[in-house]
Amino acid sequence: MWERTLQDLIRGLRANKKDESKFIAKAVDEIRKEIKSEDMELKAGAILKLTYLDMLGYDMSWASFHVVEVMSSPRFHLKSVGYLAAVQSFDQETDVLMLTTNLLKKDLTSTPADIAVTLNWTCSYFMIKYPDVLPQGITRLKEKLDDPDPGVVGSTVNVLCELARRNPEEYLTLAPQLFHLLTTSTNNWMLIKIIKLFGSLSPYEPRLVRKLQPPITELISTTPAISLLYECVHTCIIGGMLQGSSGDSLAKMCVSKLAAFIQDADQNLKYIALLALVKIVPSHPHLVAEYQDTILASVNDQDISIRMRALDLVSPSSLQSIVQQVLSHLVPDTSSSTLPTAAQSLAQHAIPSSPTTAKPHISPSQSPAYRLVLSQRILTICSQSMYENVTNFEWYLSVLVDLAHVANVDIGSQIRDQLVDVVGRVKGVRRYAVKLMYTLFCSEVLWAAAWICGEYCSELSEPQKLLPYLLQPQIATLLPEIIAVYIQSTAKIFGHWAAEVAQRWDDDDLPEVKSMVDLILDRVRDFVGNSNVEVQERAANTLQLFTFIQADLNAYRPKPADNPFVEAACTYFEPLHGAYELNPVALAAQASVPIPDGLDLDAWIVAPPPDLLAEADAEARARKVKKGKGKEVNGSKVKSGKKKHKEEGNGNAVVLTPPGDDVETPDQALEREQRLAERRERQRDDPLQPRSAFEHDIDSIPVVRLDDMPSLAATTNTPTRMLSSFPQYEVDDEVRTSTPEPIQVTRTKKKTPGKKKRTQNSNNLPEASNP
Amino acid sequence: MIHAVLIFNTSGVARLTKFYTPLHQSSQTLIPKIFSLICSRPASLCNFLDAPELEAFLGPKGEEDERWRVVYRSYATLYFVFVVDGAESELGILDLIQVFVESLDRAFENVCELDLVFQFDEVHHILAEIIQGGLVLETNVEEIDNSVQLSAKLRKESFASANPLSLGIGVGGAGSRGGNLKSPLGWLTGKITGGRAM
Repeated sequence: MWERTLQDLIRGLRANKKDESKFIAKAVDEIRKEIKSEDMELKAGAILKLTYLDMLGYDMSWASFHVVEVMSSPRFHLKSVGYLAAVQSFDQETDVLMLTTNLLKKDLTSTPADIAVTLNWTCSYFMIKYPDVLPQGITRLKEKLDDPDPGVVGSTVNVLCELARRNPEEYLTLAPQLFHLLTTSTNNWMLIKIIKLFGSLSPYEPRLVRKLQPPITELISTTPAISLLYECVHTCIIGGMLQGSSGDSLAKMCVSKLAAFIQDADQNLKYIALLALVKIVPSHPHLVAEYQDTILASVNDQDISIRMRALDLVSPSSLQSIVQQVLSHLVPDTSSSTLPTAAQSLAQHAIPSSPTTAKPHISPSQSPAYRLVLSQRILTICSQSMYENVTNFEWYLSVLVDLAHVANVDIGSQIRDQLVDVVGRVKGVRRYAVKLMYTLFCSEVLWAAAWICGEYCSELSEPQKLLPYLLQPQIATLLPEIIAVYIQSTAKIFGHWAAEVAQRWDDDDLPEVKSMVDLILDRVRDFVGNSNVEVQERAANTLQLFTFIQADLNAYRPKPADNPFVEAACTYFEPLHGAYELNPVALAAQASVPIPDGLDLDAWIVAPPPDLLAEADAEARARKVKKGKGKEVNGSKVKSGKKKHKEEGNGNAVVLTPPGDDVETPDQALEREQRLAERRERQRDDPLQPRSAFEHDIDSIPVVRLDDMPSLAATTNTPTRMLSSFPQYEVDDEVRTSTPEPIQVTRTKKKTPGKKKRTQNSNNLPEASNP
Repeated sequence: MIHAVLIFNTSGVARLTKFYTPLHQSSQTLIPKIFSLICSRPASLCNFLDAPELEAFLGPKGEEDERWRVVYRSYATLYFVFVVDGAESELGILDLIQVFVESLDRAFENVCELDLVFQFDEVHHILAEIIQGGLVLETNVEEIDNSVQLSAKLRKESFASANPLSLGIGVGGAGSRGGNLKSPLGWLTGKITGGRAM
């Protein structure tokens, strides 16, 4: 029987192109038989075929034992087949690795010189993998650097270069020898490696920099090999050799060399020059700035590799033109038919600044990944150091909107954040923004669009026209967080519009207002049963408020001078949303608010039950800080001490501490009054303080005296939210699937002392939910 | 270091794949990816492939210097692709590709794609004389050629001694299989059964 050789297999493959898988299946079957053969030649032939198939993507891991068999052959031509198969197919999961290492050991002890190469490789490989053997290794390597054989020296430098990248400090001792090689060797490959090696060493040894400057400068100006020249320049940059007075002239020389590369016709030089310039920018921006025009031209290069690197380099000084160029890369060729808005706005902006770029080049790959990088780049260039470089924010907003249209990649959320950010920070741009958003309504930026329209609807002349957009039935298909913003914006816009209408009330307005309220109620009702809690709650709130308004409107009779209801109804909403303008807060603003004396932000005001403590730690902390501001008065330290004591006492969480426990002495009362006055004074000018803080005397709000129930009026005023187990409310226990009904609040009279009752409650709750 | 050496033709069929570090993804997805990116590039563009799509394939290399680069060169119907990291000089690798091709040319005398197809093991042996474990051993074409010839001669002799009657060379060549070699696994099985020490 004549077995197929590798050549036969390849010929067969080429002849059976149509039915390759079938042919290979047959071949693999044959291999399986051959590989078990006693004949070593046959076995090796099978392994070789398998190695070939492995390259084509067919699994050969099942044959690993046979590979080891072939490796163990004393015949060199067979052994080499085995080794080839092993290096190609073995990985860390291969089960015969132990056998292989043993085999290697055996081969290496008895061996012919031919496999010495393997030794060399294994050695360096193991040293990279296992740094603990390094101390012995370094001395060996040091010896090898002086080896008479240039091949050995070259390999050693290679190995060193690899090792020094990982921890350069350890190899500083080799510097003199390497320096000697640098000045004497003529082998370019080795010189490149040595130069690279010095690039990783010199940041750790300042003296090395001074020593290296002369020979490197010499090399830069004399070497004919461009690769070596480039590596010298590169090493100067990354090795920190451009610092100081002597570095400046070197830096100039480097940059001028690189600039020559950029202007070179060879695209390779262009690319690597840009690569190196990126690294020199942080230390010598002024030198690179001289070549800004050349770099800008590269942004439009037909080569995507060059474009990407040039994008890293563009300085924000000519922001607008760069962004327009990049944006024009993103515009698909057929944009006019599919995206009229984007094309229009682009035409408006792009053409005056750079008419030449509008022509598409040989379409640079329109791959999504490239588009994403471009889009992100636009956003980062523009938003750099708080939009420092953006001079015209209307322009920037239009860029963002255009980007939303043309990007066609997953960047919507970032655009959204920037839109909201810019509009929040820049007052002057709001009117323009609202108009722009009015036309936008697409995709993820919807969130921003809806929010901006809602928040700044006063900039619109006829805000009510926006409401039908916000209430389209299709919005049900949007993401829940967008729906929530939609509902909220609806309420805001209605509030603003209704307040306007109320001011110039005319009975003819009634049907319009009425129909609008009906519309809102109608649509919002759909969301009350939404599975998202945020949507549900906002919808339920809005629904209830609008039900009031509807009732008022229905009760209205068009008698002159008798419209208080309507006026009231129409003005319900305005103060809810419009009372305070949302202003940007400086990054460090929080730091300039002093922490009041005696306020311990880490102390519990109300200790949560232990089980909550673990899971809601972060949240609770945030909430506590807020509350802490208003409630430091009663000596929280004293309280917390008591609480701790209590916690130890009964193990269960103490939800509230009855204030009756600590009786105030006259001195304390006086002190409290003083502090209260001080705080009021402070808070009057503090924009961060919630309104309630200076409208109510917090100390007058009883912290729930359960023994003698406080009057209703006093507690309903308190906006303070307790932790999950707020005691005054007892909500029906029945399980609700949705929350359509307004919550029934019943105040229960408690016969047992409140504290006990509450702790029972909080203990019972989790148990009740357990089966 | 050099992480991979790939050769494929202008229709994307792999002719040689050699990986020096374990891949994050299967080579069967990497090669078509690199091929699709390279083949769309006209010859006038630079020889460095810098595409965002590759990031996922070449592993999450955070720092700029650690990023893997793809350096390629095309010769007639073949693309020679080297995947390297920051320790290698980009231009140096371009030269190295040239050295590799010249060495192939010496070994096969006017190398063409078919040589690589039918003697893929020989190509591996030549590559092994230039690069070992991702590190460059030798860049001098003369030296490389000498070593290649030496090891080819050794293989030939070994084959001839095992198959005295054969005319051709190579494993599984069409010649007779005279040497009825038994697998010398004695010492190995001894290891497995835990018998004698070595």
